[in-house]
Amino acid sequence: MPKSEESSYPFCPDEGKYEKLAKIGQGTFGEVFKARDKKTKTVVAMKKVLMENEKEGFPITALREIKILQVLKNDNIVNLLEICRIKATPYNRYKSTVYLVFEFCEHDLAGLLSNPQVKFSLAEIKKVMQQLLNGLYYIHSNKILHRDMKAANILITKAGKLKLADFGLARAFSDKLNRYTNRVVTLWYRPPELLLGERNYGPAIDLWGAGCIMAEMWTRSPIMQGNTEQHQLTLISQLCGSIVPETWPGVEKLELFSKIELPKGQKRKVKERLHGYVKDQYALDLLDKLLSLDPSKRVNSDDALNHDFFWVDPLPQDLNHMLSRYNKSMFEYLAPPRRRAPINQPPQAPGVVRPAGHNPDQHFERIF
Amino acid sequence: MSDSKSRVHFRVMKYIHESGMKLHLHSIPIATASTIYHKFFRENDLNTYDPFLIGATSLSLACKIEEENVRLRDIINVCYRTLHKNKAPLEIGDQFWALRESIASCELFLLRALQFTVVFDHPHKYLCHYLKALSDWFEPQQWERYPIANTAWAFLQDSYHSDLCLDFQSKHIAISVLYLALLCHGLEVPFHKYARKKWWQVFSKDVTLETIQTITTKIMDMYSAENQLPR
Repeated sequence: MPKSEESSYPFCPDEGKYEKLAKIGQGTFGEVFKARDKKTKTVVAMKKVLMENEKEGFPITALREIKILQVLKNDNIVNLLEICRIKATPYNRYKSTVYLVFEFCEHDLAGLLSNPQVKFSLAEIKKVMQQLLNGLYYIHSNKILHRDMKAANILITKAGKLKLADFGLARAFSDKLNRYTNRVVTLWYRPPELLLGERNYGPAIDLWGAGCIMAEMWTRSPIMQGNTEQHQLTLISQLCGSIVPETWPGVEKLELFSKIELPKGQKRKVKERLHGYVKDQYALDLLDKLLSLDPSKRVNSDDALNHDFFWVDPLPQDLNHMLSRYNKSMFEYLAPPRRRAPINQPPQAPGVVRPAGHNPDQHFERIF
Repeated sequence: MSDSKSRVHFRVMKYIHESGMKLHLHSIPIATASTIYHKFFRENDLNTYDPFLIGATSLSLACKIEEENVRLRDIINVCYRTLHKNKAPLEIGDQFWALRESIASCELFLLRALQFTVVFDHPHKYLCHYLKALSDWFEPQQWERYPIANTAWAFLQDSYHSDLCLDFQSKHIAISVLYLALLCHGLEVPFHKYARKKWWQVFSKDVTLETIQTITTKIMDMYSAENQLPR
């Protein structure tokens, strides 16, 4: 075996270069810390790469994230600065750990939304959504799917720049027939086609998530908080109407369509249900298009960016002014759990109580 | 590079390519594996590291990078078989697990040596574009009579037996293998003699005939090196 520890060649930097300041999150495959470069004093975010299954070598999910972030360079995508590691020593049982080092962003969207003092005006919500869709447009035109859209993965700097983060589940896609895993996307943001077992999916899965996040800008908590995949589909049907071949041709061919119980006779009530929160007609129209059940009819990021919502008064407005009032970081991980009831919480069946601090992340499965 | 060293690298490259073929890998993962291997030994000493372990790890890493779904188990078995042609296939046992552990931990080591740069700009995609553009220049019957694409592609794949992928731009390598393929089949691009601009200048502004000839000479030298290998 190579004597990796004594090598003089300029291998990747050691983690000792940074001092950890605080834990700020739990990513899909590891913890996230706020840290500072001891020399330059630059503040960064460090994400630990979990090396659970060493049997298959370096985790392919981490490799994908690294490769994707090396290719994607955009204002609305989190910026990977470098990769460093902790040496293998007897103290860590000779297991070396790798960290991805990112540019630090002060807030995440879930953290901001859970703070009732933070108020977004309509023009500011437009700016958030415009940057989010712009990021999605960029990754999709580079043939990459994010596969984990949720408010906690949307970072916002104190200057008001939005950055898509956590590419731990992302992967490249192609236009030919594919068989990807459908065990992706946090349950509450998971689109109906994935819940029904589709494995040949595309960019539309990220736009469903964008729709959920957009509604959340007003409701301040995730709009559909299912406990199980079955429950999530029920909540989706109650909001977007029954899942039937008449509105979604071809849905009957999906693997789980006949195996899962789908509520019948539900009318589509996206606009009605959200009207209590969202007064703007253009916003409701865009939401309706993003939360389309049939992925082939769901609006894509390009068309969404051209939607009137972004082009009529009030025009999108920078967030830096609003955010300058806050000098404390807001992250979902540090915030108290958001307790506000989701918009269409059904009467809970006896015995089915959502456990406190329930973490929808546990539905993930490693791809390899 | 000394003669004995380059002979070792040539043998390892043959082993990487042969194992890659047996695993039904596409050209790109094999090119990535070769590039990783060459990059590593450009910076590190051959006497310190086992080149066949680095070779096998380059393959497994390349498969992950290029999304080629291959199990580590298969890579180990195929590489073992390629290296030990006269021995019985590897049984599941201590030796298998030791090899597996070596490769698994060597992956991180190689990644560090690469400083985690896992995006490679290979000449293949340029070659495809150039072939398409050139085919429109030729008379259809003339173009179809000669397997220019196959020959150029084979030169490109073989070129990885040397480390020229580290020293030249991908576009220039693609142009050079195309140049060599045309030369081998005795074809000339129509109106080449009268054109004010040579066909390769159309594809890349900064390529010179000298660069092309340096690359093609390196490729030809590599084939003569192969003939000198003990059989």
